[in-house]
Amino acid sequence: STLATACVISGLPESIIAAACARSGQRVLHVDSRNYYGGNWASFSFSGLLSWIKENQQKTDLSDECEDWRKLILEDEEAIPLSSKDKTIQHVEDFCFGDQDSAEGVEEAGALPKLPVFGAPAAQGESPGPEKESPAAEGIPLASQESPQALGSDAARAAAGDGAGAAPGSGAAPSTAAGDSAPQPAKTEAAPSENAAQEPKKITYSQIVREGRRFNIDLVSKLLYSRGLLIDLLIKSNVSRYAEFKNATRVLAFREGRVEQVPCSRADVFNSRQLTMVEKRMLMKFLTFCLDYEQHPEEYQAYESSTFAQFLQTRKLTPSLQHFILHSIAMVSETESSTLQGLQATKKFLQCLGRYGNTPFLFPLYGQGEIPQCFCRLCAVFGGIYCLRHAVCCLVLDRASGRCKAIVDHFGQRISANYFIVEDSYLSESTCTNVCYRQISRAVLITDQSVLNTDSEQQVSVLTVPPLEPGTAAVRVIELCSSTMTCMKDTYLVHLTCPSAKTAREDLEPVVQKLFNLNTETENEELEKPRVLWAVYFNMRDSSGVEKSSYSGLPTNVYVCSGPDSALGNDCAVKQAETIFREMFPAEEFCPPPPNPEDIIYDEDEIEPEESGLNNSPETKPETSAEENSSEGGAAVTKEE
Amino acid sequence: MMAIRELKVCLLGDTGVGKSSIVCRFVQDHFDHNISPTIGASFMTKTVPCGNELHKFLIWDTAGQERFHSLAPMYYRGSAAAVIVYDITKQDSFHTLKKWVKELKEHGPENIVMAIAGNKCDLSDIREVPMKDAKEYAESIGAIVVETSAKNAVNIEELFQGISQQIPPLDPHENSNNGAIKLGRQTSQTGRRCC
Repeated sequence: STLATACVISGLPESIIAAACARSGQRVLHVDSRNYYGGNWASFSFSGLLSWIKENQQKTDLSDECEDWRKLILEDEEAIPLSSKDKTIQHVEDFCFGDQDSAEGVEEAGALPKLPVFGAPAAQGESPGPEKESPAAEGIPLASQESPQALGSDAARAAAGDGAGAAPGSGAAPSTAAGDSAPQPAKTEAAPSENAAQEPKKITYSQIVREGRRFNIDLVSKLLYSRGLLIDLLIKSNVSRYAEFKNATRVLAFREGRVEQVPCSRADVFNSRQLTMVEKRMLMKFLTFCLDYEQHPEEYQAYESSTFAQFLQTRKLTPSLQHFILHSIAMVSETESSTLQGLQATKKFLQCLGRYGNTPFLFPLYGQGEIPQCFCRLCAVFGGIYCLRHAVCCLVLDRASGRCKAIVDHFGQRISANYFIVEDSYLSESTCTNVCYRQISRAVLITDQSVLNTDSEQQVSVLTVPPLEPGTAAVRVIELCSSTMTCMKDTYLVHLTCPSAKTAREDLEPVVQKLFNLNTETENEELEKPRVLWAVYFNMRDSSGVEKSSYSGLPTNVYVCSGPDSALGNDCAVKQAETIFREMFPAEEFCPPPPNPEDIIYDEDEIEPEESGLNNSPETKPETSAEENSSEGGAAVTKEE
Repeated sequence: MMAIRELKVCLLGDTGVGKSSIVCRFVQDHFDHNISPTIGASFMTKTVPCGNELHKFLIWDTAGQERFHSLAPMYYRGSAAAVIVYDITKQDSFHTLKKWVKELKEHGPENIVMAIAGNKCDLSDIREVPMKDAKEYAESIGAIVVETSAKNAVNIEELFQGISQQIPPLDPHENSNNGAIKLGRQTSQTGRRCC
């Protein structure tokens, strides 16, 4: 049978394209040779990550590459073999800083403790509370909140967007509060203060193994800019319904050997205790200028050929403010980034403030690896077919037309399609001879404390560590707490990322040593620093920015998606997906909202439609209905049309 | 006003055992002989009273991703309960039920309430799976079990009532308040309608 589109590998751009194609009525087959979603965008439980490490360390040369499929290629055809080995991950080194032997024989705790026998429903100890998807007052978008965003030139549009974006979320809060029957904003604080009195809890390696399924460890470490392309796409396509997010709560800086919090929103600046009155005014003045710097070219024109760092020196800012702006807000290179690049980056940061919280960033619960899966679900909802553990041996090229007409899978089965989306890592060496790749250095640590302890231990922090030596790259650190559902209680998951100069360990270990304590025996002076319980380093290929023309011999209807890039945001993947989709289907809209007559009904009189038959009594109608109303009922609508 | 608790319920089971039909019967009290393999309706809700709470079930369908055993872990996230369906007229579907339970154990949350539904009990004359087998298995994993008929509306309500009763009451001290954000759509877009 002929499909419209076949996608190979389920990374973020491929998943977005698959969803967009299915959404516009194409028949989509999405295959991945791995047994998990996401390719290099995936996240793993602890045991899952250990197997991933093993697999990538062994690098067994499976030279049993069966070429039986060659027999299936006809005379007027040509085969473009695909690679069956993933060569995108290198230099994987893992370290355990606890007693690894003690974990021998320890098994991951089963997901399912026996339920009580019938008739004793209340006996079950734990409520599904932590797992439950309940919105909370804490992180709800605060449209009225003071933030520099209000200063934005497009404040009106932003405010309108905010209002709408906030509606379902803030609407949900009362219903949750009602459900709790005891809204206690302070209750999360209870636990930390209790802990502070105690010795810091010692988490052992065997506990990590046992609680392994509490971890969702991402191979890529990214955040979503609250006004970035990915958030826009999630909202527009309604894929956002499948995921929940947490705000990054802090932006941190590493200066003179200390970790400090960076005040970035207007409220932060005014409430800051570390800044003097004069500094507050300087900072606010500068940030206000950055929001509409284009309107004041006279302020920076003279420095267009300077670096942003040099420009900052001219702006009557104290060294600490310069550091905050350069490294933590603009997050640009001290030596390489121009004034304009710095201003642009600062503006982007500031514009994202206040949409969902005090920092510009959101992080998906259960990890970044959820996002490709969410797009895959949208694709499936619109009829896309999903096959994991399904390897593809080659593309079949029709000599006459020069177009790719089919793929041959590992069963020797031929699947015809009109368009093919292939991830870079699937292409064979012969296709990629002229391609030059960059590398990303990554480290993932499990630690026992936050890099900056404050009153609340549930923090999601972004920290930029400036280059320790000239000529090296700044290292981006993202620290996740257990309420992001990516690590077990009383631990933190720390992601370090930078463009590679050497192996990941060589690039990142110096920073790890600055921030953390790697000794198993904690000595007094090191007590302040968080202890690393476990660590892994690896290099990942960065195939972003490779032009399609660099690949040799690819037919025009084969599109190549890159693996993850090293940037903090996800704009690169979304742009790539949209560009490819538009090339394939210039006349189609990219991921339009699901057609949904129910939305209109909701807008007009706020009554859920009869059709869905969801309400048994009108007074039970929850305020969150906006989300359900725009449900996938839309798919059914498409079919009828 | 009674407190509303939203409970995510995910459906599991082989293609064709009647997962969507069960939900369709429960939510819309409707049965369609020619229901196509699940495309579209992958998210339905229904609210039922339970004690002094209202349980609002958010029922997720597989969207067909179970067909080649390619369900994504995100499908299970935060589920309070899972309905695992087999077809009493197909021994195979009962065998693979155990695989679904295993998958659920791997990817599902802890303390998830499991309910096994032996569907198509209106066809008991061509039954292949004895009720006894299902009961024994369910007991061994601590799951609820009922035989259902989506076609004749047998035991569908009871299935979900059983789930409701197994849901532990909300403990206000548990951190139900986890600070999660749901992203909403903008009204300017909801007004745009393609006809």
